[in-house]
Amino acid sequence: MDSDAAFDLDGITWRPVSPKLAPVRVTIAVIALGLPLLAGLVLAIIFGGWVWTAPAVVALLLVWVLWLVPRQVRAIGYVELDEDLLIRKGVMFRSLVVVPYGRMQYVEVQAGPVARSRGIAHVQLHTASAQSDASIPGLPEAEAARLRDQLSAQGEARLAGL
Amino acid sequence: MDADGVQWHRVHRVTPVLNAWKVAAALFAIFVWQYSDTVGQLDLPVAQVLLIILGVLVVGSLIGLGFSTLAWSRTKYGLSDESVFLHSGILFRQQRHVRLDRMQTVDVTQPLLARITGFAALKIESAGGAGSNLTLQFLREETAQQLRNDLLARAAGLRLGRAPAGPVAASTAAGAGPGAAAAGAPGGPAAPEAPERAVLGLTAARLLGSLALSFGIVLISLFFLGLLVVVIVTQNIGPLFAVGAPVLGAAAYWWGRFAGEFSFRVATSPDGIRVRQGLLETKARTIPPGRVQAVRFAQPLMWRIKGWWRISVNIAGYGPEETTGTVLYPVATEAEAAQLLYLVQPDLGTDRPLDLLHTGLVGTADAEGFVTTPRRARWLDPLIWRRNGYRLTDTATLLRTGRWWRSLIVVPHERVQSLGMEQGPLARRLHLADIALHSTPGPIMPRVGHLDLGVARDLLRDLTERARRARHSAGPERWMESSQPPAAAAGPSDAAALRASYGGILPSPGLPEAPASREEGSRSGPPAEPQATEHPQARDD
Repeated sequence: MDSDAAFDLDGITWRPVSPKLAPVRVTIAVIALGLPLLAGLVLAIIFGGWVWTAPAVVALLLVWVLWLVPRQVRAIGYVELDEDLLIRKGVMFRSLVVVPYGRMQYVEVQAGPVARSRGIAHVQLHTASAQSDASIPGLPEAEAARLRDQLSAQGEARLAGL
Repeated sequence: MDADGVQWHRVHRVTPVLNAWKVAAALFAIFVWQYSDTVGQLDLPVAQVLLIILGVLVVGSLIGLGFSTLAWSRTKYGLSDESVFLHSGILFRQQRHVRLDRMQTVDVTQPLLARITGFAALKIESAGGAGSNLTLQFLREETAQQLRNDLLARAAGLRLGRAPAGPVAASTAAGAGPGAAAAGAPGGPAAPEAPERAVLGLTAARLLGSLALSFGIVLISLFFLGLLVVVIVTQNIGPLFAVGAPVLGAAAYWWGRFAGEFSFRVATSPDGIRVRQGLLETKARTIPPGRVQAVRFAQPLMWRIKGWWRISVNIAGYGPEETTGTVLYPVATEAEAAQLLYLVQPDLGTDRPLDLLHTGLVGTADAEGFVTTPRRARWLDPLIWRRNGYRLTDTATLLRTGRWWRSLIVVPHERVQSLGMEQGPLARRLHLADIALHSTPGPIMPRVGHLDLGVARDLLRDLTERARRARHSAGPERWMESSQPPAAAAGPSDAAALRASYGGILPSPGLPEAPASREEGSRSGPPAEPQATEHPQARDD
């Protein structure tokens, strides 16, 4: 696919995020969609007929998510260059963000309960712009900590004004 | 003055009175809302009802006054060489601290009541987004002006000795206290008001014209016409009452626009761009150099008739919800737009900035080096594909779009926060991509859509590189330190020397590129430099 090449900049090897991100996202999706699915099934069994469409739709959604998530996770990549952090994302809707270290205002590391149980975390770089969505989900905890320290150090060394 | 060199002051003691009416009004509104029915049912004579209302007003005022006085007594502000401090709050104490080199704008605002009585509020915006400002209200007008000058001078990196920064016991300063004294007073040098040149002023006629030439007005007029027809045909005035609320809302909006943008004036001075506006409540904003993150020239459809443009800016500190602060000029002609752009971005990075601006505003296709959406995407953007594009110069990026609602955005390279490239499924099939230049929160979100993929990629790489270089060579936050070491400016009491050093960075004369040379090839031929009229002391705000 030559379109892929466009988001692969010259001489850059993207670092993938942890493959554990896929099961984490799937778990969350199953929890979020499982309850409506159950409720829909119960209602459908009681009332029958067209009510079956509700659980069917939810089930379709769940299957779609199960199919999509691994692809999405594989599409996430990041790379630390001398002056910038590059992050790419997306299968259908692709995006590539270039964040200069000097523009960093702060770094945030988050991990929810499901992610923590799998030992991964979410690193987000905040600039003065609300539009720069510089987040890397699904990094192994050690890598997240390293990246956080590295970004902080780089940001301090290259600090620019607004 | 405490150990850290912070001088503490109180805001003026009239503050509780100026604030009390708000509490009273709120209480009164609540009363009317809650009990108007009850009072009506009591079946009392009119005099007694009036008495009740008066009583509520008096009690409300007293409660408001008591509360405001308490708040006033717990509020103090301080100033050091690096920072402004504000301590406030009755139950929940709050201490705010704004570093002067992070200060984005300084506003002197005068609500109607304060304006009548000669008081003003000083608002200092820092880049922390909404709610990160620091408001000192109320101060005597002269004190507020003086403090504004002082803050800007300190933020610029000038050292003024140990000047009494603000009002020393403002209550005793009956107009001419030590704080409000002019520069060179024996009490110690205070920062003089930076010399100022008026650039543009908006006439009421043009403001009214611009409001009349808006879609909203036309729609409302048509709506009213239709309504009148209905009323006449049906002989029933019911519908008129039914639409009362939306009409009132629209009227309030237009009145807000008119009153807010009335008497809009822009001036330039070494400590930044001065913007004054307002009919009843006046605002005088100062935007220090290098604080504008992006500029947008927008033309609503019907303004084409007159060739008018509305100019907005992104400034860190004004969040997206801020509406008045982000307008640099409400209605400008192309020549005026060029002047304003020159104030914000003196060097457009090209030999013929006026031609470039003209092409950016009204041009299409690849004139003046604009790169547009490729032809194959014309069915995606049937109207705008020839207009939609960008032009990269040495100092800024110009992003142009809109065929009917024209818009041009200028982003200086050193103000780009981060960059993004995006592509949806349709764009992917057509080998297109969008490029976004992430700016601080505000009305402008610079991006250019549907570029050829290869072009977008090159733009991304180019911009990354240019932004990096611009970042490294960007001026200091304390803008005076670049041209004048603080020591040189600290011939403290010598206001003339200070003015001379200020004059050094006044826009046109001191810059390497004199505007006269930049005006060559001008087609619309605006005056070579802003119509300069000296305002030795801008007392008109």
